[in-house]
Amino acid sequence: MDTETGPLPAAPTGFWRRYVFSTDHKVIGRQFLFLGLGFLAVGGIMAMLIRWQLARPGDPVPVVGRLFFHSAGGVISPPAYTALFTMHGTIMIFFAVTPILIGGFGNFLLPLLIGARDMAFPRLNMASYWTMAAATGVLCASFFVPLGPPQAGWTAYATLSTALGAPGVGQTLWVIAIYLNGASSVMGAVNYITTVLRLRAPGMTYLRLPLTVWGLFLTSILNALFVPVLGAAMVLLLFDRLFGTQFFTAGTTPGAGGDPILYQHLFWLFGHPEVYILILPAWGIVGDLLSFFARKPAFGYRVTVGALVGVVVLSAVVYGHHMFTTGLSPLLGESFMVLTMIISVPTALLVLNWLGTLWRGAIRFSVPMLFCLGMVFTFGVGGLTGLYLADVVADMYLHDTYFVVGHFHLIMAAALLLSLFAAVYFWYPKMFGRMLGERLGRWHFWLTFVPLNLVFMGQLVIGLEGMQRRLYDPSVYEAWRRLAPLNRSISHAAYLLGAAQLLFVWNFFVSLRRGRTAPANPWEVGTLEWSVPSPPPHHNFDTIPVVVRGPHELADPAARPLGRDWLSQTEVLDEPAPGLPVPRGRS
Amino acid sequence: MHIVLPRDVSLDGHLVDGAIGYLTIATGIAFVAALGVFLAALVLHRARAGRTWGQHTHGNRARDRALTFAIALILFVAVDVTLAVRATRELEGRFWRYPDHDPAALRVEVTARQWAWSFRTAGPDGRFGTPDDVVTLNELDVPVGRPVYLKLRSRDVVHSLYLPSYRFKIDAIPGSTTRAWFQAVEAGRTEVGCAQHCGVGHTRMRGWLVARDQADYQGWLARAETDSRLRFDPAAGSAADAWDWETGL
Repeated sequence: MDTETGPLPAAPTGFWRRYVFSTDHKVIGRQFLFLGLGFLAVGGIMAMLIRWQLARPGDPVPVVGRLFFHSAGGVISPPAYTALFTMHGTIMIFFAVTPILIGGFGNFLLPLLIGARDMAFPRLNMASYWTMAAATGVLCASFFVPLGPPQAGWTAYATLSTALGAPGVGQTLWVIAIYLNGASSVMGAVNYITTVLRLRAPGMTYLRLPLTVWGLFLTSILNALFVPVLGAAMVLLLFDRLFGTQFFTAGTTPGAGGDPILYQHLFWLFGHPEVYILILPAWGIVGDLLSFFARKPAFGYRVTVGALVGVVVLSAVVYGHHMFTTGLSPLLGESFMVLTMIISVPTALLVLNWLGTLWRGAIRFSVPMLFCLGMVFTFGVGGLTGLYLADVVADMYLHDTYFVVGHFHLIMAAALLLSLFAAVYFWYPKMFGRMLGERLGRWHFWLTFVPLNLVFMGQLVIGLEGMQRRLYDPSVYEAWRRLAPLNRSISHAAYLLGAAQLLFVWNFFVSLRRGRTAPANPWEVGTLEWSVPSPPPHHNFDTIPVVVRGPHELADPAARPLGRDWLSQTEVLDEPAPGLPVPRGRS
Repeated sequence: MHIVLPRDVSLDGHLVDGAIGYLTIATGIAFVAALGVFLAALVLHRARAGRTWGQHTHGNRARDRALTFAIALILFVAVDVTLAVRATRELEGRFWRYPDHDPAALRVEVTARQWAWSFRTAGPDGRFGTPDDVVTLNELDVPVGRPVYLKLRSRDVVHSLYLPSYRFKIDAIPGSTTRAWFQAVEAGRTEVGCAQHCGVGHTRMRGWLVARDQADYQGWLARAETDSRLRFDPAAGSAADAWDWETGL
């Protein structure tokens, strides 16, 4: 435990040290946040272009078509379309959600939530950000090379991603960018794990950690374990592309050369834990916020923590459900099916505890809470539709259809996006010292939540009807022509969803200057970050706090004499007021 | 909204539809129940005049835990265990019971390439890679009522043979041989597609499956055999896509 004495670290004064090459976790957190939000916009625009092509195959894109697809007269060509869905997936997963939730909020929140002055390794933290920045540079460079950007899908299956299927420099740059991105994640992971293990304030026991910290901590463990697997796959793929090795290429004769399936095993051994890497911080954030805005303690905190740990343990042994159609041996196929189904148990416990938290609360529908509740809804649909894909029999039909697209977007796009917005609305005051506009926030919620569900549930329907993913022009298939009206409706909902984000952009930037000045604790909750000014000083805490209780002490009768319904994690109650029960630690 | 799956024309496709149907009902009930509690909490337990304090409980009592675990367990048995048992039975009894020893089965070697399917049957001599093989491009003709046994390979990247009307897909992978089987129960033409992203031409990698009644199939086969024999050119290496059915070499 850190019981540091001596002078407080002074804030750097020079421009470069303060804003660019900063080692302050709060600055690095904001750097990650802005980088991620920028790429979220890029990935979102790509999504709308994809939807344009699916709604009106081969029609020139209005307004921006001439700019982006000049040589094709504004029409999205097949190579441009494959590049679009490849980059959309890559950007959203590796360069938007990862930097926002883990890099941005992880950095900003971890030290504040556990009562530390900074991360365990501030310079490694800076290196993590700049490695990520380098990765984005390499990725963006791939747009400007001969033969264009990568087109092998975000999963980059061999042999399509080897020199055989993707001879251009673009795919090589993609491999390097993903490797650098992974290196950044591993640096962050090592740092986060050490910080949680070593820098918790006195009294901040593991079972007094906010769920957000648990989410980030467990995510970091998964990152440290499984991102290197992706790194290994990328190195092997790079060797195949540049140096003529044959790890993932094969002749038509079985047994000759390497094995493309090896790539899929490596990719999904990373790729499925990656789903949990992204969702765990969101689960943590939602778990905390539901309690805060229901004005009662998180229901079944220990069971929730146990469930999160259970998911982490199981996350690596379910990945085979991505490969049911590759002719896995029956033993593997059935094992992965059963294991995938088992992982639904901790997930169900988690959701049940969320419902338990809401039940008998005094629910305040503030903007962050609206986004959290929206997340619970979409996560419910997204989670349950996952069961269809765990079932080998149903998966024979549904694999690689839009049902899969709808399912994982409900989790990775809808649920993650909603919890990400919840986090922005909730912690923006702490980050920037101003409140985000409430009315705009409500409009933003409804105009995000409704179209989001229309888009992804529409995709579930189209998938059930059988349409495959990644088709440049579905009308090539006679059977899918009848889906054209539905495809168009989905696209219209997607445009609305995209347009609604302008409200957020406006709110975000205008509030930076003109937002209501944030008090230290606008949401009236007891976690440590709200015990310091908004925004916090460079050293976070004048004195390292001593923690005496859990993060969700709301509605505790012991708080009644104080005239409020919450207790801070550090508040020492002198003696119980007469006539009131002794405050219980955890009942 | 009325969701219409492509018409199932296969012997075992109803098992897939059954699994999807059961999943929809079971998860639908679970979802509606959870949604009911969720919405009830939002309405009944919203903060308002007279309700400014939540209930002070951590949900850590034995009773609370018993309730959560009991619900999770019920869900697990009703949905997961039921499905896993059912799927295992159907996979081992039907989908993975390949017609290796069924003399009536039509054996087809499928070769995928960017961006076309070729289908090869052995012809009267029963051996692959001989001049009497019947080879078709982007069209697979099969008899109704006989098992069709596919073995697949790919010459370049990973593809996936997708027969929506027969409710299955199976990958074709360079360097290995995969397999699947199905049986048509009624004559007709249905689409065959590629389900795995295989490059810019992915959307064009489409063909037809033509199921024919026995007499119709025999007539077609006679014409196709003649065609194939005429087209056979040993110098062109047209047998490169053929392999020994049993050994895979």
